[in-house]
Amino acid sequence: MIAVQDVHKWFGLLHVLKGIDLEIAQGEVLVLIGASGSGKSTLLRCINGLEKIQHGKIVVDEMDIHKSRTNLNKVRQEIGIVFQSFNLFPHMTVMKNITIGPTKVKRISPQESKEIAVQLLKRIGIPEKADFYPDQLSGGQQQRVAIARALAMKPKVMLFDEPTSALDPEMISEVLDLMRELASEKMTMVVVTHEMGFAREAANRIAFMADGQIAEIAPAEEFFKNPKDERTRRFIEKVLAV
Amino acid sequence: MIRFEKRSKSYLFAHYLWIVFRVLVAGAVLFGAIYLVFLGLGSNYTFHWEEAIQFLPFFNQGLLVTLQIAILGAILAVFLGIAVALLRLSPWGVVRDLAGAYVHTFRNLPFLVVLLLFFFGLGKAIKILPFEFLGQTYRPQFIWGVLALGVYESSYLGETFRAGIESVHKAQVEAARSLGMKYFQVLRYVVLPQAFRVILPPLTGTLIALIKESSLLYLISVQELTEAARQLAIPSRPYFFEFYTILACYYLAMVVPLSLLSNWLESRLGISRASKKVKDHG
Amino acid sequence: MAEMRVLGSSRLMKLALRALILVVLLALIIFGLYYLLSQSYPFRWNLAFNPKNLDAFNEGLLVTLQVSGLAMIGGALLGLLVALARLSPFAILRDMGMLYVQMLRNIPFLVFILFMYFGVSKVFSAGPTVPVPLLDIEIDSRIFWGVIALSLFEASFISEIFRAGIQAVHKTQIEAARSLGMSYVQSMQHVVLPQAFRMIIPPLTGELIALVKESALLMVISLEELTLTARQLVQQTPLNFEFYAILAAYYLAITLPLSFVSHLLERKLAIGKAR
Repeated sequence: MIAVQDVHKWFGLLHVLKGIDLEIAQGEVLVLIGASGSGKSTLLRCINGLEKIQHGKIVVDEMDIHKSRTNLNKVRQEIGIVFQSFNLFPHMTVMKNITIGPTKVKRISPQESKEIAVQLLKRIGIPEKADFYPDQLSGGQQQRVAIARALAMKPKVMLFDEPTSALDPEMISEVLDLMRELASEKMTMVVVTHEMGFAREAANRIAFMADGQIAEIAPAEEFFKNPKDERTRRFIEKVLAV
Repeated sequence: MIRFEKRSKSYLFAHYLWIVFRVLVAGAVLFGAIYLVFLGLGSNYTFHWEEAIQFLPFFNQGLLVTLQIAILGAILAVFLGIAVALLRLSPWGVVRDLAGAYVHTFRNLPFLVVLLLFFFGLGKAIKILPFEFLGQTYRPQFIWGVLALGVYESSYLGETFRAGIESVHKAQVEAARSLGMKYFQVLRYVVLPQAFRVILPPLTGTLIALIKESSLLYLISVQELTEAARQLAIPSRPYFFEFYTILACYYLAMVVPLSLLSNWLESRLGISRASKKVKDHG
Repeated sequence: MAEMRVLGSSRLMKLALRALILVVLLALIIFGLYYLLSQSYPFRWNLAFNPKNLDAFNEGLLVTLQVSGLAMIGGALLGLLVALARLSPFAILRDMGMLYVQMLRNIPFLVFILFMYFGVSKVFSAGPTVPVPLLDIEIDSRIFWGVIALSLFEASFISEIFRAGIQAVHKTQIEAARSLGMSYVQSMQHVVLPQAFRMIIPPLTGELIALVKESALLMVISLEELTLTARQLVQQTPLNFEFYAILAAYYLAITLPLSFVSHLLERKLAIGKAR
């Protein structure tokens, strides 16, 4: 579904991605972990073209993301992304936030998109908040709306960029539950997170990034039981000790 | 792979060269387009650049007067502006309000109206005699013009200075007062040096505005730059377009360097304060 | 609630007292200056306040308001275009926008109006009126070129206001819009501009004040707005001080309320994003 081949990226003089190779199958859940600044968020943003790459190739669903002939707007309809800071549109109601994509981008009729949105709101458990504005919701609710907004486009792939890092601890589980549900429905997902519990349960494979490279990639079980890379071992010791 | 290692200092230098090139191309396209519009709409106009350029010495005389007006006006505006700012920050409410009335009155009037009111209004009641200084005669028009300019711009500078002084944290004043400093000592040694960096960029901006406003002095027949162009543009020399283009270039030559300086100061003074960021490995 | 009202009324009393003291003091100062001046200049207000003169002023006011209003609309439309050019993904558009803004910001409006009316209009060989295509009417060429010059000039300032407003909308909002597959134009239209709007309104009011003040310079192309009216009246009867003081009062009557509104809007729109 997603193929990343020898991807390099620079920010000015800073070499942030140093030759990433990655294959993600349809229906697979891949969790990216690593210290902050290791390049995992950047990699995620490259996958839907929010950041440009200077070398290599990223193919999603047989479309080459960084080829100039590719219609990025078209590709992005297939790739949903959920940000750390929600990034809901503050001047629109929850309903409008969810329907704006289907109506304006996919040109689905307003009634039909509204039905989709009502379904999604029911699913994320806050049907009564449809006419609220984002800043009237809790952080957990906002993030669930952001997930619904992405799902409303019926994407083939969902990317999550530290979706729970900006949340109060008591709200993390409501978001993670929703993500687990998605995973069990065989949605292809790439998740950057620090939630090791989620990684262990929901991930098919876990990739550990360090210094702009993938240091280790392994099925979840094996990754935690006997990590091969020295840096991975130290990282796991640190996060599991807390 | 090797091709990417070239993202080095020399790469950045090439990048800046590229930006300069880009701006030049954009300028060529923009002016080319404007010129084509002229050709398309006003085909019977012939340009007389060669004749117009012969009058440059005349422009230069005007430039000299404009510079004098700007410098004198700026000095006056700075002193009045400091006074207004101090009054606006005074502990007495009434004084603050009076200074506020001064600022709001002048800020909300066109400079032209202030100039007319000063020269034709006050000038009728208060007589100023022409005087000679360094071999040049200064007429009352010049004096009233500089006065009007200084007073008008002081209403803007007063607000700039006030914002600068207010940007210095209260705790700094308290710390200085706790050392036993007096009001003016606190200003002089603690507040003003820190306020300076906030004040400098808008101060350059006001100087720019002052140069631009000074063009209005031709209306009270001060022999400055704009008046020079006006005197040249008479029916027997019908190349008005050329004269006024030259005039615009003179102002651009004075103001654009100041404008760049203002931008540079802003980024420079901003950087030294805010972004001593620790470099993070991406 | 009751507590707040009590607090509010005592604050109101204090404010009223302060305003009263201010008015009295200002009156004293103005009267003092007036007295000093009247020693050497005979004031003749009763002549100046002749209804015929005030009618002339009112006509001038109408022209000033018309020209300012038209120029504000023109300047805002053009300013939006320039701002979008300066923020566009194409370097050449960005650079052209930058050149436009820098050129016009850095010359005096007086020079620009002289250039436009006596320079450019001559290139177009304009008569006393300018025909408007489609509408089939002729416009006084002084009004036409005055409005054009003011619009072009103000567009350079207004575009900077728009640009700042658009840039104040956080970059993540554009990312969120683009990641839904919206095009550049769609994300501007649905996400960025509606949010930028509230940040743009207060400085835009400020720019309207600047525009009204700038319109005074249109007297140099003998457009009969407020300032030229005053000058013509002075030439008929030499009541310099009186007429120019009335002129100043007219301008303050336009700009002070605008200034107040701008201040109010700034406070009101600044309070959070909640409605």
